[in-house]
Amino acid sequence: MQSQSKWALILVLPACLLLAVIGLLPLLAVVNYGFHDIFSLSDVHWVGFDWFADILGSDRFLASLGRSLLFSALTLAIQLPLGIAVALMLLSFGRFAIWGLMLCALPLVVPWNMIPMLWLGMIDTQSGLLGPGLAAVGFDYKFTALHTWALILVMDTWHWLGLVVILSYAGLSAIQPQYRQAAVIDGASRCAIFRHIELPRLSGALAIVILIRFVDSFMIYTEAFTINAGGPNDATRFLSLELGEEIKGFSYGQAAARATLYFLIVLAVTYVFVVVTRRQEDRP
Amino acid sequence: MMRVLGGVALAVFILLPLVQAVLLSFTVTLEKDGVAAGAVGLMNYADVLAAPELRAAMVNSAVYVCLNVALCIGVGLPAAYALARFRFLGDRHFLLAMLVFRMTPPVVLSLPIFILFSKLGLVNSPLGIALVHCLFNLPITIWILESFIRAVPSAFDETAFIDGHSGPSFFFRHLVPMIAPGIGVAAFFCFIFSWVEVVFARILTVTAGKPITMAINAMFTFQTDIGMVMAMTCLSLVPGVAMIWLVRNHLARGFTLRA
Repeated sequence: MQSQSKWALILVLPACLLLAVIGLLPLLAVVNYGFHDIFSLSDVHWVGFDWFADILGSDRFLASLGRSLLFSALTLAIQLPLGIAVALMLLSFGRFAIWGLMLCALPLVVPWNMIPMLWLGMIDTQSGLLGPGLAAVGFDYKFTALHTWALILVMDTWHWLGLVVILSYAGLSAIQPQYRQAAVIDGASRCAIFRHIELPRLSGALAIVILIRFVDSFMIYTEAFTINAGGPNDATRFLSLELGEEIKGFSYGQAAARATLYFLIVLAVTYVFVVVTRRQEDRP
Repeated sequence: MMRVLGGVALAVFILLPLVQAVLLSFTVTLEKDGVAAGAVGLMNYADVLAAPELRAAMVNSAVYVCLNVALCIGVGLPAAYALARFRFLGDRHFLLAMLVFRMTPPVVLSLPIFILFSKLGLVNSPLGIALVHCLFNLPITIWILESFIRAVPSAFDETAFIDGHSGPSFFFRHLVPMIAPGIGVAAFFCFIFSWVEVVFARILTVTAGKPITMAINAMFTFQTDIGMVMAMTCLSLVPGVAMIWLVRNHLARGFTLRA
């Protein structure tokens, strides 16, 4: 066992070193910057918890946090059921399923900064494929908050549905057909089969999807900023947009404190999630 | 009937924005060189391929993405093997740490990464972007490869060692061919996440080495030639679509949470 353990550590070492340099080191630096006021790299003052207190005490921060949480919740509420439904549908297509999977994967390879461009182009009131129709029913993403939200949610769903579908499909197609056949013979309904046979075997893949989708939607930046730059009236001002503003405004100390806070939020959610899923797994 | 309708609805939803882009890419949207706006043809593509900075951007993107895939597979494969086969001190913590790094939002780390990389001389170089993209790609690589290696019975390893294969010879001549689909899928996910990433790619290319995403951004000016932008976008999709095609039969495997 002793030599096995030694070999394992040697094999894992390169990955650890790489992540330490590009992940751990910058992370520690961010936390450290958060306690300083930084005018330039040679003019740095210790300010303690001032930035943190400022940010946590501001109404804007809490409002943005609420918006980001709402956005993540909506994203998950739309994309998880829809993705599982599409995966189930593809499963019933038999050998044509692979075409559906490739179709769903397509938006994943579009550069992120072009995704809002594609959508804005499509709903352009003059030249867009959907623009004139949407304008006729009074759709106005620039000045109506509800419409901006709808646009960003639909766009995000377009972008990421493929990931949910691919991973759900992976989980579903790993279920041996005997299970389903046995359930059908016993007279189980479609709902019961999903609830008691498919869902439990999906949980591993779904755990990953939920976490990845939570963080990516919670920290949405490029797409949301391009659509309406946080407008109208700050209605789509998410957490990452505030951070972006501070970095652009050269307020590095404050930006670092904010980044640390965001990281802690993400870390807390990840930790709670892992603890909960572990408890579920350990249950006999 | 419902299934057909569902399939058609899905196809329309996914393809509609792309159809618009493809149509625009074949249309001249800005009058130039005596060609009137509205003309249809390959003019936009010819313009894109004639622009040296756009050609350079494609090469830059291709270089750092390939470097990133090579790095992730090279470093991730041994780690995935160790996690799949050995029980060792801290193996569960290792997977949890992986998860945390994948979950760290790029915006959070952008500032210190820039400072660190400018000290190391890695700004404006494809190697810098390739390295920093490992932050989110390496955990994914390790997850996928680990699940593929775990699916190979460990008797397979033992037989090879009894047959007198050394470690490296077993690794390259037996294990790698065995899990080739897994390596393909891992490469696919590294490729797409690296190819489309914007935040790190922007901050790490100040004056040179611009990738495709930034080159497209730079095309938006006072008078944007939107047809040319769309032509560039369509070209930027080609490698991704090729990757999807290559791994199509293995796309739906790998990825289980074992943290």
